Order: sequence, then structure tokens, then C-alpha cells
Amino acid sequence: MTAETGSPREAWRQDGMSFRQRVRAGRMRWIDDSRHFPGMLLVPVLVFFVVWNLVPLFWMLGMSFFNYSIITGSPPRYIGFGNYLDILGNFSVWQALSKTFVFVLGAVGIETVLGVVLGFLFWGSSTMPGRRLALTLLFAPMILTPAATGTFFRLIYEPTFGVANHLVQRFFGTSINFLGDRSWAWFSVLAVDVWMWTPFMILISLAALGSVPKAELEAAEVDGLPWTRRIRHVILPHAKFILMLGVLLRTIDSFKVMDLIYQLTRGGPGNTTEVVGITLFRKAFEGFTMGWSGALAVIALLIAIAFTSIYLYILNLSRAGKEAA
Amino acid sequence: MQRDWRRSVYHVVLWVVAVIFFLPILWIVLAAFKTKDDLLAVPVKWAFRPTLANFVDLVHRHDFFSSLWNSFLISASAVVVALVVAFLAAYCFSRFKPRSTDFLMFLLLSIRMVPAAASVVPVFLMYTALGWKDTFWGVMLFYAMFSIPFSVWILKGFIDGISQRFDETGLVNGGSRLHVMFRVVLPQVRPGLIAAFIFNLIFVWNEFLFNFIIGGKKTTMIPVSLVTGSLAQGGVDWTFVATLASVYLVPPVIAIYFFQKYLLVGMTFGTVRGEV
Repeated sequence: MTAETGSPREAWRQDGMSFRQRVRAGRMRWIDDSRHFPGMLLVPVLVFFVVWNLVPLFWMLGMSFFNYSIITGSPPRYIGFGNYLDILGNFSVWQALSKTFVFVLGAVGIETVLGVVLGFLFWGSSTMPGRRLALTLLFAPMILTPAATGTFFRLIYEPTFGVANHLVQRFFGTSINFLGDRSWAWFSVLAVDVWMWTPFMILISLAALGSVPKAELEAAEVDGLPWTRRIRHVILPHAKFILMLGVLLRTIDSFKVMDLIYQLTRGGPGNTTEVVGITLFRKAFEGFTMGWSGALAVIALLIAIAFTSIYLYILNLSRAGKEAA
Repeated sequence: MQRDWRRSVYHVVLWVVAVIFFLPILWIVLAAFKTKDDLLAVPVKWAFRPTLANFVDLVHRHDFFSSLWNSFLISASAVVVALVVAFLAAYCFSRFKPRSTDFLMFLLLSIRMVPAAASVVPVFLMYTALGWKDTFWGVMLFYAMFSIPFSVWILKGFIDGISQRFDETGLVNGGSRLHVMFRVVLPQVRPGLIAAFIFNLIFVWNEFLFNFIIGGKKTTMIPVSLVTGSLAQGGVDWTFVATLASVYLVPPVIAIYFFQKYLLVGMTFGTVRGEV
């Protein structure tokens, strides 16, 4: 090392300038001279990643091979794949998994259909008076936390003074316990999810429709193409990628659903609305069986990684498609 | 003339749809202005005399201002930390494209795809062992981590959109690397920064589960007080819940009114661009 380049600290002192002045004057020479500049930029994000993801992840991975419960106080006992085998052979886990998948299918299906229909409806709304306020009202449900919207609907679904039951009584003469009745609870929860996330699919549909080139739409109109064929041959080829991304994001998110259901029914009545997220939460923080829930969390993690890969695959497809177009 | 008439009907229909989606929220806000008797009335009372008493009660509760303050402080500081870290990383991914870029971006995105109930278990184990539970730094830095993936994704998209010529010109003219990063590139990605800032702020402001598990008395944020309030044993204090919920929802709703054009970017990790 020559005297001129010196160690970073040395170089600082020679200039006799403060850190701020140096940044301002653009004279952080040790940064400019370093071959490791790109690597330095990644240090903070890697620190966060290692401390808050990798460490807990391996902790959990290790824990999942132990029989470990916080309340019994007995030391963790190594049981190999015992927890995993127990989960795979556990009927209630499979039940929760199948409930989750049915929930995902139902919620995403309804939201997509409603969202696309309403997206078409809102497509020509650019000249609407008070559009910004109207869209704020429309998009408000998805921006609020499920912990809060779940609370709203507990009040609305309340069997005695709730407004939903009041309306049902008035128009149908019967009374429904929306969250307490085994046959209704599942639909009531689904309805809240649909209310929350249909606006998201409207937003996605609007973006998808906006990605269709104006010229092609005008050409289709001039040619007098019927609507069914306009959708199939003009709109869908352009709109499908954004739509797919939206549907996939919803799939991933509704697979994660937990706080909404926890707040509405806590998985009940019985286990009618118990999805995987609820099972996991209950086992970990009500039953305190950390080893077992760690194993279930690992499985949920693998499913999430699979979803993410599919999402990125479609994202790359859409980019390739855009470049080809 | 007939066209105008049809157009107005169309606009009215759109407004009706928007209001229908807002009705459940409106119902809660109305509940906050009712007295307890009006709120619990059977059958439901449609007309009532509005009162501000619930808000006065709310302000007098000992934990209201502390959870409000926690919510503001934790979300703002977490998002600022996340944005700094994310900008450095996004700049690196966009400009130097290290071999690990795709893999790291994938890892970052998968953090957000994991069910919260699954990722809260390991974090809980670690926080209990290290004694970080219910500390400002523990909770705040966790939320910073939580906001980083999304910010990196958004910012990388925006930085990719800025020509490398700017960087080259800056460097050739004797600017340092930091000067190029912060004085040349940063000002041009302002929309990305705003979008990332607003949406992370909303995410942290909204977060419930982690705050519930790794937080405590000192770090309670509003959604947690809302849920614990609504799960209270021996009857729920509905006027309190409705009032707190109405206070809670003001910032997010105002945010999407003023930052509506970032909504799409914000809800899709910056993977879908465009305005609505």
C-alpha cells in the first residue's frame, strides 16, 4: 500500500473534512476506489436477511425435529422426522389444508369474476365527476387491515343487534347467526374476504384493460367486431398477463389468510373455518407446541416458495410477451 | 341530449357500486357517533342523534395515545430504515447486476409470500431467546425487514427505468459514486420512493399478528388494541371498538385519496405499472 491510497481512515484525516462535507464534495475516495462497492451496497440488506430470516428459519428448522413445548418446561427431545410424520398422518391438518384450498378457490374465483365484470364497468369512467373520491371509497376495503375489517363485520354480523341479521329478519322473516351457525360461518367469512379483495381485482382488471393498445381497440370498433370476439382476439391477448399476476397474488394472499378469520370466528364454530394459518397459530400460541408448529410452518413455507416460483415464471413470461409484441 | 342522459345514469351506477363497497366501513364510522344505547338497540335504529362522547372517552383512555404514538413512530422509523437499505440494494441490483441478483430478488419476494403465521413462529422463538420482545428496536427493525422486500422490488423497477447514461456522465465529470447515487439517480426515482414509502407505511400501520406476538405493553399499536379491545372477556365495548376503528382508518383512506396513482404499483410489488 502506498502512502497516497493509504487506509480509508488515513485518507480521511489528510483532507481535514467532515463526513458530510466529504459526501457533499463527492470525495469519498475510499468508496470510489474500492473494488467491492457493489458488495458494500448489499451489506445492509444481507444483514437484515440473515438476522431476521435465515437465523429464525434455521432455528425453526432445527426445532421442527424436536418434541418441544413451552409450557411443559421439559427440555426439547430429538425425535427426527416425528413431527413431520405426525402432521402428514394428522386428519385435522389435512382437513385444514383442504379447507384452505377450498377457501382459496372460492374466494379467488368469485373475486376474479366480480372484479373483471366491475373492471369492465369502470373502464370508461375517466370523465366521471368525483372519480377520485369514488375510487377511494371503492378501494378502501382492501387498504384496511383484516384485523380491523374483521372487527367491523363482527359488529355487522352480531346476532342480536347486528344490522345484517336485522335486514334478514325484515326481508325473509328468519334469523341467521352468521358467525355462530355451523352452516353459515364459512360463507360469512368468505363474503368478508370477497368484499375486501374484489376491489383489488377491479384495480387489476383496470390495469389489464389499460394495457390494451388504443389503436387496436379503435380498429376493432371500426371493423364492427362483436364484443365476444373483441374480448377474445383484441383484449385478452394483451390483458391476460396482468390478470394472471393479479389472480396469482390473490391466490398467495388468500392462502395466507389468518388474521381475518381469527378475528371473525377464531376458526370456529367447532373447526368449520379452521384454515392452515389458524391451526398453526393455535398450536403455536395457544398450545405452545413449538416443535410441531415449526414443522407445519416449514411445510407452509415450501408451499409459499412454490407459489412464488410460479408467480415469477408468469412475470417473466409477461415481460417476454411484452418485448415480443 | 340522449347521450348525456345515458352518461349520467352510467356515472350514477358507478357511484352506487363504490358506495356499496364503502357501506360496511361507513356503518362502523356511524357507530362511533352513537351512544351505547343507540348502538346496541334492537331492532337496529336507523336515525340517531350523533354524539362526540365516544371520542372524548377514547382520548381519556390511558392506552390510546401510547398506541397511537407507537403506531406512528414504529411505522415511520421502520419505513425510513427500510427505504435506505432497499435503495442501496436496488441500486446495486439494477446497476451492477451481481450474479446472485435473480436469486436474491426471488428470496426477497418469497419472504412476503410466506404465511405470517408460519414466519411468526421462528421470529417469536428468536425474540424470546434474545430478549428482544416488546422493545422498540426489536419491533421496529422487524418491521423494517418486513418492508424491505417490497421496497427493493419497487425501487429496482424504477431505477431500471433510468438510463445508465446518467451514471456514466456523472462519473466522467468527476462525481463520486455516492454523488451519482444520491444526487443523480435518487431524485429521479422520487415516484418510486413515494410509492414505497406510502405503501410500506400502510402495511406497517395495518400489521396485527407480529405486533400481537412480539410486541407488548410498550409497543402496542392500534390494530392490536382494536383486537384485544374487541375480544375482551365479559362483553365487548363496542362503542370503544367502533371509535378506535374510525380513528385508525383515517390515515390509510386519506393516503389512497392523495396517492391513488401509486395504488397499482403499491398493491403488486411494483410488478405491474400503470395508472388507474
